[in-house]
Amino acid sequence: MENEKKISKMKMSTQDAVWGYVFLSPWILGMVFFMGGPIIFSLILAFCKWDMITPINFVGMDNFVKMFSDMRFLHSMYNTFYYTIFSVPLGIIGSIMVALLMNQKWKSVRLLRTIYYLPSVTAGVASAIIWMWLLNPDFGLINYGLSILGIKGPQWMADEVWAKPAFIIMSLWGVGGNMIIYLAGLQGIPRQLYEAAEIDGAGMMQKFRYVTLPMLTPVIFFNLIMSIVWSFQIFTQVYVMTGGQGGPADSTLVMVLYIYQQAFKFHNMGYASAIAWVLFIIILLFTMLQFKISGGWVHYEGELKK
Amino acid sequence: MAKKMSFWESQKLQGQIVSWILYAIAWAGALIFVIPLVWMISTSLKAPGEIFTMPPKWIPYSELKLEYDTKITAHFPGKVKFEKDADGTERINLGGYSHVIPPIAQLQVRKNQNVEKGDILAVIPEKGRIKLIENPDKTSIIRIVNDEGMTIKEYNLSEDSKPVVKEGEMVTVGQKIADIMPQWSNYAKAWAPKAFDVTFNRFLVNTLIITLTSILGVLLSSTFVAYGFSRFKFPGRDPLFLVMVSTMMIPAQVTMIPTFMLFKYLGWIDTFWPLIIPTFFGGGAFNIFLMRQFFMTIPYELDDAAKIDGCNYFQIFWTILLPLVKPAMATTAIFGFVYNWNDFMNPLIYLNSTSNYTLALGLQTFTTMYGTDYNLMMAASTIVLLPILLIFFFGQRFFIEGVATSGLKG
Repeated sequence: MENEKKISKMKMSTQDAVWGYVFLSPWILGMVFFMGGPIIFSLILAFCKWDMITPINFVGMDNFVKMFSDMRFLHSMYNTFYYTIFSVPLGIIGSIMVALLMNQKWKSVRLLRTIYYLPSVTAGVASAIIWMWLLNPDFGLINYGLSILGIKGPQWMADEVWAKPAFIIMSLWGVGGNMIIYLAGLQGIPRQLYEAAEIDGAGMMQKFRYVTLPMLTPVIFFNLIMSIVWSFQIFTQVYVMTGGQGGPADSTLVMVLYIYQQAFKFHNMGYASAIAWVLFIIILLFTMLQFKISGGWVHYEGELKK
Repeated sequence: MAKKMSFWESQKLQGQIVSWILYAIAWAGALIFVIPLVWMISTSLKAPGEIFTMPPKWIPYSELKLEYDTKITAHFPGKVKFEKDADGTERINLGGYSHVIPPIAQLQVRKNQNVEKGDILAVIPEKGRIKLIENPDKTSIIRIVNDEGMTIKEYNLSEDSKPVVKEGEMVTVGQKIADIMPQWSNYAKAWAPKAFDVTFNRFLVNTLIITLTSILGVLLSSTFVAYGFSRFKFPGRDPLFLVMVSTMMIPAQVTMIPTFMLFKYLGWIDTFWPLIIPTFFGGGAFNIFLMRQFFMTIPYELDDAAKIDGCNYFQIFWTILLPLVKPAMATTAIFGFVYNWNDFMNPLIYLNSTSNYTLALGLQTFTTMYGTDYNLMMAASTIVLLPILLIFFFGQRFFIEGVATSGLKG
């Protein structure tokens, strides 16, 4: 009797396993053909020289050594870091601020949310073209706005110094996407916490500092990681607004654009793969670093409630 | 007691004032956020002469006035010398600086006459008669002629602009001659660009084919896989789930080159297959994750009841669970639509011939050819954005729900 039960249980679990893998099979096949396989192959390519016509040549560390003396690569790395260092923190602060506003109990708050969220769905070629026009040095709306304030606007996309800030400003137009995530986070904070803080005599700023912000940290953490992953991969805007060049004078040549140029313009498949791996490792290191220091600032609900 | 009351009241009032200030800030910010889109639409309706103006015009309407210089004056002192270019253009050369004299102008100086700066060299009549010419393509020309029929000035108008003067009417410089109305014809010009051998019709069809099949692939395969992850307990499931979630961190560029070579080997370059086929193999880690979260909220008792009724797992999946995850599927479909509609890098890599381009790729090519025709560029951008904006307004609820279920509860 005991034994029979055991057997049927075992059968159940092997049956479960078979069915489980049946349902997972599309993803597993996809992993093999479009993820795992390509990753391994691209790692091999990173140590090779190949133009897709002549046979593959193993060149050891050559591709990685080359990077240190390749000014265009170094530029692309600098530009990508520059963009990330400014756009990610500004984007997070901006989206939290907008989310706090959108969490108010106003009658028109739904309409406001829609307006703030709208630009984030228009991301892509069309919005890049709109910004080319907004940033036009002589007839663009942005320099016109600045001129009202008595400021002579820069040449933006035609100026080595101002081209990168232009992309950072553009990225802030899309804070609505993250705003929705923070808004969901804010609405998930239990009312009792605020009530308890009020009883303790906390003012508005104190409630934000000791209740809202700590309760929001898990969302900020998740969002920070994803924002960095995404900002390191900036491509479309730069390609469209600089005609695929990353100009002026390589000042907007970002890593993904350089990978694209090396692979599909110059057909240096090995070198392009090597740079892609450097990008991957940078993203990985950033993510790991954040997990490591997250213990110091990310609060999970359990801790706070104690 | 009375003191306490007033304190309470003042704090309430303070809160009210802060709320008003925040409300004003929120609307000011919203205005800034919506301006680029309003500006896009406004520019898309402008005539070429209305684009490059400072301060910018918001309303795409203007009055066309008859305007030209009635006097040609000397820019420098000098001795008059008449010249004729190879193409017949007549000039007065004052020794170094020459002035173009149109045929209509009446000379006010003689050969070898010494003139001072600011002296009148020639005059152009201030009045003329209107001659209206309708072109077969509905555009028109307003020509101002003198009594001998010589042209004083000419304006080309698009089909949207309306002349307000009649044939043969006498007009003077400064007089209004036409209304430059919103240029709806810009949209037709952007839709079928002269520089292209195809129209945006083709790009739209291509984009719809790719987007709709991709959404189908994502919906089928992500729900299928999510069902596996959420409903079965088996060795290796949790590590595999972890692997899946962590693939979200891998930049697409790492797999881009080998994947490109795989599709090249299969002979699929310049076809839609590389953009469609991968969606049928899992549909992306994010979507599986979203679906799995949703499946977890559905009670297992439903599965058990169906099993007792003799359903197999496929039947449970298809007839019991799929109808229940419809809201999540709607969210995924909408996100998939936006992603595919906006996707630029994949079409850029895989599609070569113009007739295979997507809207995003077509729009980018359009800008490289019409780089300064901002009115046409904005019209093309509006056309490309319109479906996204419509989807957004009708599917708003799904955007917000989707983020709320996926972004937070890990």
